[in-house]
Amino acid sequence: MTATIEASPNAVPGSGAAPTTAPRRRRRMTVSARIAAGVVALIVLVAIVGPLLVGDPNAGDAARRLLPAGSAGHILGTDGQGRDVFARLIDGTRLSLLAGLVPVLFAAVVGTTLGVTAGLSGKWGHRAIMRTLDVFYAFPAVLLAIAIAAALGSGISNSIIALAVILVPPVARVAETETRRLADLDYMDAARASGASRLAIATRQVLPNVAPPVVVYCTALIGLSIVYAAGLSFLGLGVSPPTAEWGLMVSDHTQYIYTAPFLAAIPALAILVASVAFNVLGDGLRDLLDVRSEARA
Amino acid sequence: MLGYVGRRLLMAIPILFGVSIVIFITIKIIPGDPVASLLGPTGSPEARAALTERLGLNEPWPVQYVTWLGHTLTGDLGTSIARRSDVAPMVLDALMNTLILSAAAAVIAIVLGVAVGALMALRRTGILARLGNALALFSISVPQYSIGLLLIIYLAAGAGLFPVSGMYNPNGDGGFVDLFNHLILPAVTAALVPAGIIARMFRSSVLDVMSMDFVEALTSRGLSHRRVMVHAFHNTVPSLLTVAGLQIGYLLGGVIFVEAVFAWPGIGLLVYQSITQRDLPVIQAGVLVSALAFVVLNLVVDALHGLVDPRIRA
Repeated sequence: MTATIEASPNAVPGSGAAPTTAPRRRRRMTVSARIAAGVVALIVLVAIVGPLLVGDPNAGDAARRLLPAGSAGHILGTDGQGRDVFARLIDGTRLSLLAGLVPVLFAAVVGTTLGVTAGLSGKWGHRAIMRTLDVFYAFPAVLLAIAIAAALGSGISNSIIALAVILVPPVARVAETETRRLADLDYMDAARASGASRLAIATRQVLPNVAPPVVVYCTALIGLSIVYAAGLSFLGLGVSPPTAEWGLMVSDHTQYIYTAPFLAAIPALAILVASVAFNVLGDGLRDLLDVRSEARA
Repeated sequence: MLGYVGRRLLMAIPILFGVSIVIFITIKIIPGDPVASLLGPTGSPEARAALTERLGLNEPWPVQYVTWLGHTLTGDLGTSIARRSDVAPMVLDALMNTLILSAAAAVIAIVLGVAVGALMALRRTGILARLGNALALFSISVPQYSIGLLLIIYLAAGAGLFPVSGMYNPNGDGGFVDLFNHLILPAVTAALVPAGIIARMFRSSVLDVMSMDFVEALTSRGLSHRRVMVHAFHNTVPSLLTVAGLQIGYLLGGVIFVEAVFAWPGIGLLVYQSITQRDLPVIQAGVLVSALAFVVLNLVVDALHGLVDPRIRA
């Protein structure tokens, strides 16, 4: 799960389309993207209200450990400490989602700020920002996140910081590419000629046009970020036991792989579903914005 | 061509300089006292002072950085806290094993990715295209640690087709066949994500090339479909090279999960074990060596890029 965060200019949606002159045409998302949007909405709903509906995820009964799925009172069975797997899965949704979502939100804000600033600055400002970000591209992303998380110590906030750091550069690159493209357009000359301040140009003229591709790109990053965040927990760098969280559950259940093989598959499946849903939604949003893909289809 | 490679080499120097600063900073932000962790709880104040002096920890940060960089450049990567031995040989052995795994995974990923991507580009509708698209999406989204576990459960432990973990059979001859058997499952697991990404990128790159004017020109000159396709595929090589290079690079970092699950004795497993032992010199060295390998790999890809696409050399 290493890889999708490189920001290729080709991946930037909307490239080549003038932001204001393109005719507005109603386009609709594909069926799969709409299903994905539904699944995402469901996951968010579970994350918000789920923990209130299930019982204590840490309540375990040692006499009732490793019950198979479908047992009375335990729809997904129990884990090695006799805790209800369904309750832990539902309760863990909130943390697993937050651990994936917060780094992307952070990266979206910081990355856009850096990218737009770089795109609007002169030669040296642009160089200083983009060359510094290049340094972070020299690391294999996951390994850098692991090193940062390991240095800061385990804990969900540290895992969020580590992921945010590795997600900022690709977002900044998308925002910078988009800003540079806009900077050459006539309406920017008009804005400059009218005496608008740089801040006003950045926030009023550039930001509204940079935001859509960044949002699309970030949606696709959420799936990746969820997998990474769970991965950090899996390695012992995320939340600490006995907190219910999907990655930690996978690592927890791995020790029973021979006695109860399905146990490890349950939280892994939850990670997979969340990740696929965000990726399909990201694809759908990109197609919606991407003029080129329509011309091709 | 040589000038182009030389320019890329020069550009790598500031990047590596930045990398060294980032790694140095991660060493410095670590909470806790490295002297205490090296000496253990029984260290006397005199021993503490002596070790602090010897490690240069009483010097200002810039001085410490220069000293550390000097040691690193001369191959001295420090001493492992948990294993009490030199980090450098440990990390280099592990790097070799990681490179073996990454290379195998890269071959699988490129073959699979190009095949599925080409299929998706040439048959744009129908059940095969949909299947290819779903497969690519699935492989990108899947957490590698769980797929690895499933393969272990069903193919290794269950069906007994492959060894469950490790790199060689402890009682075996340590030969190529032994290595190959141990390599298959982790390599396939590690190849999944890059294969999916390569497939998707290759599809759009083939479609991009197919919509170019020269394809129409060749067709109108009466070239057979097969000949046109050869020209078209030739033009997808640069972008394929870029994405494949990036993916192989990311394999170097991503294999940590695969190595942890399959107990493959590479950088990832070393770093994973060092996390649980809080053995920071090994973690830093592992990340440093991976970043170095990554930068070198990018240089090689850039050079190849210049070789296949003359426009880039200018």
